[in-house]
Amino acid sequence: MSRSKGGLLERLAQLPPKSLRAFATDTRVPGIGLGLVLVLFPLLDPNKSHVNVAADAGTFILLALGLNIVVGFAGLLDLGYAAFFAIGSYAYAMLASGQFNIHIPFWFLLLTSAFTAAFFGVLLGAPTLRLRGDYLAIVTLGFGEIVPRVFKNASTFTGGVNGIVGLDQPSFPHVLGFPGYKFGFNPVPYYFLILAILLLSVVLISNLRDSRLGRAWMAIREDEVAAASNGINTVTTKLLAFAMGAAFSGFAGTYAASKLFIVSPDDFGFVVSVSILVMIVLGGMGNLRGVIVGAVLIFFIQRYLLIQLPGWIAALTANIPFLASVDVAGYVQRSNYLIFGLILVFTMLLRPQGLIPSAQRKIELELGTTEEAVADLRGSA
Amino acid sequence: MSAILEVRSLTKRFGGLVAVSNVNFSIEAGEIFAMIGPNGAGKTTCFNMIAGLYKPSGGEIAFNGTGIYPDRDFWVNYLPPLAIYYTAMGAVRRAIGLGPVPIGLRPHAVTKLGVARTFQNIRLFSYMTALENVMVGQHARMHAQLWDALLRTPSSQREERRVRDRARELLRFVGIERHADDYARNLPYGFQRRLEIARALASDPKLLMLDEPAAGFNPQEKAQLMGLIQQIRAQGITIFLIEHDMKVVMEISERIVVLDYGEKIAEGPPAKVRTDPKVIEAYLGKGA
Ligand SMILES: Nc1ncnc2c1ncn2[C@@H]1O[C@H](COP(=O)(O)OP(=O)(O)OP(=O)(O)O)[C@@H](O)[C@H]1O
Ligand SMILES: [Mg+2]
Repeated sequence: MSRSKGGLLERLAQLPPKSLRAFATDTRVPGIGLGLVLVLFPLLDPNKSHVNVAADAGTFILLALGLNIVVGFAGLLDLGYAAFFAIGSYAYAMLASGQFNIHIPFWFLLLTSAFTAAFFGVLLGAPTLRLRGDYLAIVTLGFGEIVPRVFKNASTFTGGVNGIVGLDQPSFPHVLGFPGYKFGFNPVPYYFLILAILLLSVVLISNLRDSRLGRAWMAIREDEVAAASNGINTVTTKLLAFAMGAAFSGFAGTYAASKLFIVSPDDFGFVVSVSILVMIVLGGMGNLRGVIVGAVLIFFIQRYLLIQLPGWIAALTANIPFLASVDVAGYVQRSNYLIFGLILVFTMLLRPQGLIPSAQRKIELELGTTEEAVADLRGSA
Repeated sequence: MSAILEVRSLTKRFGGLVAVSNVNFSIEAGEIFAMIGPNGAGKTTCFNMIAGLYKPSGGEIAFNGTGIYPDRDFWVNYLPPLAIYYTAMGAVRRAIGLGPVPIGLRPHAVTKLGVARTFQNIRLFSYMTALENVMVGQHARMHAQLWDALLRTPSSQREERRVRDRARELLRFVGIERHADDYARNLPYGFQRRLEIARALASDPKLLMLDEPAAGFNPQEKAQLMGLIQQIRAQGITIFLIEHDMKVVMEISERIVVLDYGEKIAEGPPAKVRTDPKVIEAYLGKGA
């Protein structure tokens, strides 16, 4: 960790009281401040719909963090990540609803969903092990299309196009004098739940990154042949990347399904996979902070900006005589995806390395890469 | 018998091209053994087969008595479903008179056995630091599992510290400790070659295979490299070297095998190989 040198903080640090100086130079202070804001936010903002949006954003941050393991750490381009989100959601829906009259407690499923999703991560990852880059992307794209279709067509189990409605909502049981608590449709407890899950996930994922396994992922991303020659079992290491990536989407699926109260096969399409990928690319692949910022930003644009924009435009143009007769807001509404696309194009043009890039991505873009064909081991220097 | 590596009737075909043809040699523990031959003779292909990157078309490779190819212990080395599959396919093939398809050790398993190599066209992890490169090199000797990684268990933290210290030590040994925190791709060419050697040493090999380590070096760098190789051998590590520079080869190697068009044309100590008419012909052309 580098401390900021010079400037206001340094001068503040010269001030007499020791505790204040320690406070001003402590690099943890911004983090603690942000933590306080996040914890107090639902209490400060009385508008529950804001809390609701924030709680939904959490789902996507979690998904982006999970996909970042696969794409950012291990360099395996996965275009069908929403499939694991679907599996997590449906697993919860089938095991905690009236569908089969099974009602396993939320907390237990939240824990086990990681294993369920990881299992499918390995299952779908295994056939792709020999593929790289573009080919891998195409196969994962196929999986991403197949999985929601399976859920749609296996209607005896999954409720088909209608999905499954009326999922169990989390609650704390009535034990030892504690009165018990039902989450219901109140977004506030969900918000705190996802905050806790995210905190835990960030800790676990950064531990992974700095471990033997994390280094092995990076080595595979850089040069698979050299990685194998340095004692890395590329098969198990890649499978672990798929499994860990999927595990976090298992959390996300369980959480999102219980919060939404329903699951529907249309919520896990290609657009979802691509959005998550865009979040990590735009935020800064490989860098956890970047990924989180990217996820918040894209989610905010998709779920708030693009939806509110027509309303704002309508309000703006209502008083302009020659525009009032034209349905500007309608145009804006219909060109939703065009606007989204333009935002993406411009962000990537302005910051091709992502908003907060990882150190590797940064120098890759500064110096350019030399892609070598992996199959070609001929040593012509 | 103290052969550390035994290669028998090794053959590799690429389509119609026979890159390595029926080659035999064995390397004694503790020696510096060199392989030479004109361009395209099949030297790197031999390395790749020993390292488990290429599957031989025929022949045998054994390291300290353990089969690299065929891998006689593949029941232990493979995931159970694969082992069952291979065994079943082998039974079917034997039943129809084909004989089972031999399976070789995968590259990481060869490294774990104690064989490390460098690449002719340097293959470092470009966007990792020199230190991280050497830490990756120790992968096969580390024990941290998924849970250790996720939870940062005390034992894994101890291991990380140990691996980091050892990586620094190796960087110091090859003389680039100052560049520990530089990205591999930003290092000067000569340092990249040294870094590759440090990374290979990190796996605690018994046999170190160097593919043209002196390529592109000036005489002074070559002398330093030879010193380094001698030092490595002094630690009890057997050296298997591919090298074009005759001065380097003749000076440090104890035995030499010569390939030409995939075939072994000579073998023996430098003095003998140097005067072998076949070798002279291969290098200088007929009528020289
Ligand atoms: N993957 C491959 N596919 C097809 N042909 C190959 C492959 N690898 C090597 N060859 C061919 O096999 C022959 C031997 O190549 P190899 O790289 O082993 O030669 P070498 O002795 O290392 O030569 P150099 O001194 O130039 O490095 C060459 O003709 C080469 O083109
Ligand atoms: Mg070669």
